[in-house]
Amino acid sequence: MASITLANVGKVYKGGNRAVTDLNLDIADGEFMVFVGPSGCGKTTALRMVAGLEDISEGTISIGERVVNEIDPGKRDIAMVFQNYALYPHLSIFENIAFPLRARRVPRAEVREKVERTARLLGLSEFLPRKPRTLSGGQRQRVAMGRAIVREPQAFLMDEPLSNLDAKLRVQMRSEISRLQEELGITTIYVTHDQVEAMTMGSRIAVMRKGVLQQQGHPQEVYERPANMFVAAFIGSPGMNFFRARYACVDDGHVLQLPGQSVRVPEDVVRQRPGLAAYRDRDLAVGVRPEHLTLGSGGGPAISASVVRSEMLGAERLVHVELPASAVVTDEVVEAAADVDATAVTALEEESGQRHVTLILRADPAARVEGGERVEVGVVAPRLHFFDLETGAAIGA
Amino acid sequence: MAGEPTVRNRYTWRTFSRELIVLLIAAVFCLPLYLLLVVALKPSNQLFTQPLQIPVPPRFGNFADAWAGSGDGSLGTAVISSIVITVISVALLIVFGSLCAYVLARRPGRLSNTLYILFLLGIIIPFQLSVIPLYVGLRALGLVGNYAGMIVLWVGVMMPLAVFLYTGFVRQLPRDYEEAARMDGAGTLRTFLRVVFPLLRPVTGTVAILTGMFIWNDFFASLIFLGGTDYETLPVAIYSFVGEYVTQWNLVFAAVVIALAPLVAFFIVAQRQMIRGFAGGIRG
Repeated sequence: MASITLANVGKVYKGGNRAVTDLNLDIADGEFMVFVGPSGCGKTTALRMVAGLEDISEGTISIGERVVNEIDPGKRDIAMVFQNYALYPHLSIFENIAFPLRARRVPRAEVREKVERTARLLGLSEFLPRKPRTLSGGQRQRVAMGRAIVREPQAFLMDEPLSNLDAKLRVQMRSEISRLQEELGITTIYVTHDQVEAMTMGSRIAVMRKGVLQQQGHPQEVYERPANMFVAAFIGSPGMNFFRARYACVDDGHVLQLPGQSVRVPEDVVRQRPGLAAYRDRDLAVGVRPEHLTLGSGGGPAISASVVRSEMLGAERLVHVELPASAVVTDEVVEAAADVDATAVTALEEESGQRHVTLILRADPAARVEGGERVEVGVVAPRLHFFDLETGAAIGA
Repeated sequence: MAGEPTVRNRYTWRTFSRELIVLLIAAVFCLPLYLLLVVALKPSNQLFTQPLQIPVPPRFGNFADAWAGSGDGSLGTAVISSIVITVISVALLIVFGSLCAYVLARRPGRLSNTLYILFLLGIIIPFQLSVIPLYVGLRALGLVGNYAGMIVLWVGVMMPLAVFLYTGFVRQLPRDYEEAARMDGAGTLRTFLRVVFPLLRPVTGTVAILTGMFIWNDFFASLIFLGGTDYETLPVAIYSFVGEYVTQWNLVFAAVVIALAPLVAFFIVAQRQMIRGFAGGIRG
């Protein structure tokens, strides 16, 4: 087991296309680090540089105390699980798992013993004589894991290993991989574009965009204190709601001014975010997660809105409300929306030209609301997020 | 019972007539084979009087006469020559062709592209154009009139086709397998031998069949480079039955049947593998 350190790592392809810029990360021994971001954000390139499958253009990567920039992948003592598993189709499951041991000329008896032990651990014993094509997706996934763990490497690298599985199996395998990683205590870098996977599996997550690390930290910390609008929009499902407001100082405190109404910002919230002082009488982007909006004010700050529709999801109800305000349509928000689906981008673009914005709030499934109904939407003010409209950076301390 | 779905007879006249047409086409393809067998079993006096009829009784002695050969060598020697030359040439083509293609496909660059174009030109340019310089060169090296020279010649002549077929296939092969092997600690040669080469099985079958058939059936090069020696291949040996004044067609046909036998046997034994290879591609 070993720590992995990326220091000022960059990747520039032939022709000048830059995939990763100045990436700095310290991954502790035994840690489960998840690289997450939309397609093309550089997360897989970063992983492949750690693996040794891509040359490192700038900076250094160390595994343990050893700088591995010039070391061949096979000599880095790390194992990788590929997106399509890359199981050798002509070899039996036994031979697939045994491959890394045979490549290292491990004695036959030891190979058999280790492969059988690994197969027992993963529930693959009965499949050892079979060929990969006879196994289901989940079983193949386990074989790929087996091939990675059989030689007890210093670190695991996993490149979207669950993306080829159906939703139900993905949930099952998610917990299985987490359990295995905890049991084995091997340092792991896991790449995914699925923020739910990132949140549930990672002991730490690194959010990337356009080759640049946006934020790293414990999933809860990233969720609750996003560093910028991109992270705020990307992490969370449904994503964070954004609207444009003017931050103003009035006689008895601070308010967010919207067309036709204003929302009081409690003094303790203002005190916790001294950076807001610089935005007095200026427009900023306000972000609020669906669970921090409520139906009914409950005595706290509230905004008046009209219901567009409500979606019953069993355990909760998602209520879409329309608010007279301007939408925040920056590159970051659009890119995060694009990762969800193309229609989200279209909806954002439509809103950009109008004077209203749609917010989603999480309500009790028993709540009865009809489309067109006027409602008071309560805001959990301490959980409001503020962002600079130009830079997208969070406004905080 | 009301509402029960009616089971229709799907075998209609239309299906029957389609099948009949297909069978007739198949019969047309079988006709040369019929003629070959019939003539091979005829006594000499029936060759032109009853050319299409099944000989009664069939004369199996034709095969023995053909096997004994005409003039200097027996057909047995020619069969051995053909087998030695074809098998060794095809094996070398597979080994060198796949290795060469692997490098061309996986190390892109100006040198690789240039070499690939040269190989393509090698397919396009008829090898007959280079027979005279080849003959002079091989003779200077002592490679005319022996197995080694013929094998070198065939490996050279057929290599462009082998490289072309292998390169196209390797380019389609996902790199993940090789990357997985590299991560697992396998070196380039081990990766090629244990991972890449087995994945090339379908195209290896194609290369073996195309080049093997060509070499086995070749008359021209064998006549020039091996003619008059003890290493003549089957087509040249069969040609010796064709005389200036008299041709023993029944012996020629019997010899052709003998020449076909190893190929037919190979197809029968390996057909399942080959069809799987052609159709299967790569399945995880």
